[in-house]
Amino acid sequence: MQRDLRLDNVGRRYGLRGPWVLRAVNLAIAPGTLTRVEGANGTGKSTLLRLLAGIDAPTEGRITGRPRTAYVPERFPSALPFTAVGYLTHLGTVHGLSRASATRAAHACLERFGAAAYARTPMAQLSKGSSQKVAVAQALLAEPEFLVLDEAWTGLDEDARAELERAVAERTAVGASVVFVDHDPSRLAGVPDVICTVRDGGVNRRTEHPTSPAAGPRTVVVAQGPRGGALPAETAGLPLTTLEETTAGTYRITVPASHSDVLLRALLMSRPPWHVVAVGSEETP
Amino acid sequence: MTALFRYQTDLLVRSQRWLPPFILYAVFLAVGVQSGQPILDSLGYTAAALLPVAAWLVRICVTNEPAAARGCVSAAVGPGRAHLAPLLVALTAAATLGALATVLVTLISDPTSADRQTAVPRLPAGASGLLAALVCALLGTAVGALTTWPLLRSTGRAIPAMLLTALLSVVVTGSPARAAVSGLVTGSRSGTVPLPLLPLAGAALFTAAATALACALSSRRSP
Repeated sequence: MQRDLRLDNVGRRYGLRGPWVLRAVNLAIAPGTLTRVEGANGTGKSTLLRLLAGIDAPTEGRITGRPRTAYVPERFPSALPFTAVGYLTHLGTVHGLSRASATRAAHACLERFGAAAYARTPMAQLSKGSSQKVAVAQALLAEPEFLVLDEAWTGLDEDARAELERAVAERTAVGASVVFVDHDPSRLAGVPDVICTVRDGGVNRRTEHPTSPAAGPRTVVVAQGPRGGALPAETAGLPLTTLEETTAGTYRITVPASHSDVLLRALLMSRPPWHVVAVGSEETP
Repeated sequence: MTALFRYQTDLLVRSQRWLPPFILYAVFLAVGVQSGQPILDSLGYTAAALLPVAAWLVRICVTNEPAAARGCVSAAVGPGRAHLAPLLVALTAAATLGALATVLVTLISDPTSADRQTAVPRLPAGASGLLAALVCALLGTAVGALTTWPLLRSTGRAIPAMLLTALLSVVVTGSPARAAVSGLVTGSRSGTVPLPLLPLAGAALFTAAATALACALSSRRSP
């Protein structure tokens, strides 16, 4: 059983006499939760993420219970003397994969984000967006238990942005926790379990109500299950927007588009499996 | 740690930044060592010249990885190990270079004492030279680790500090490097091969402490 990642009275300042960037932060990140970190520029969001990822040690207080962590920085340099796949293979082995499975995961990850054509391209020749795809791939390829995304969507093309949202949904569905910062308020809107606001060196935590109206695109799934039954247990953690039983045993389920694959997988993999009647994107009213 | 070591080694080899210190070392040796000179003197010179080269290699290895890429590695394995890996790679590179040079110098030098009166056996002399080179590689790694990020961040301060400290560690009494090198030089005068085990132990301890300090600070200072 995975423990919470806990921050107890954590403070961080740079230098011996620098001003406190963060002070007296108490936070627990439970497995399987998605946390959004908000705050104006320069309030310490990145510092909080670096503390969570374990890159920086807190100046005071303590952080306990860190699972296997992966981190995507806000700007990823391409000044590395490797090809994309060469770098990813190295990072995969650093994350604990064997060399063969790291290479396989590297190719699969690049393909997933539409960068398979750049697998053998030297990193120095990659565009900003393509090197951001490499940064995202290095974090996802070893299936981490805790994923920290510092504006990871910046610079990605539209397909890759949606793919990253789906990857986040997948990670949380298998019990990994994800923390992210993004300046686009519609990013994974309605999905986060927790929203943390960084202001004046403190972190204000509030749990998001799953009923709040989601702003982003949504997917409608019509599925049939046992009569009078409930949705399978696998869907328990999903941020369902609406759920209505249209006829006996037939349900119309609306989820944020990022979570449609996870929902379908949960329905089809449940025992006994549900039958999916129709899948479509919700018409904008 | 093996994966991390391979990653950092590949980074150093492919970056080609190892080339300038290697060339500098070759120039040092070309100037100071000629075939037919007394073996222990030449080995002392070979070892002493390795110290600044090792320090420079540490600087290259530590600054080779962009901060964001180091962040990715730090999140996976912890910042301490992420910093230990480049230090170990630099030490290995310096020790390998020193060993190659020592073997070469052992082969081309004259196996006699400085006054050419006493014969100095080639093999023990070479072994002693290897130990002295290792002492200098270790101490150079310590100098490099203490004069680069995370201890000194600005290049303008770090490079003069590194050069000065490297020079001082070769000449100041009490330094293991100076003890190892002067052991070879005095041994050359008397025609006896020294065994610099005490300097080696001292250098190993000091380097371990310097490495531990640098690794501990790597999560506490900003990039």
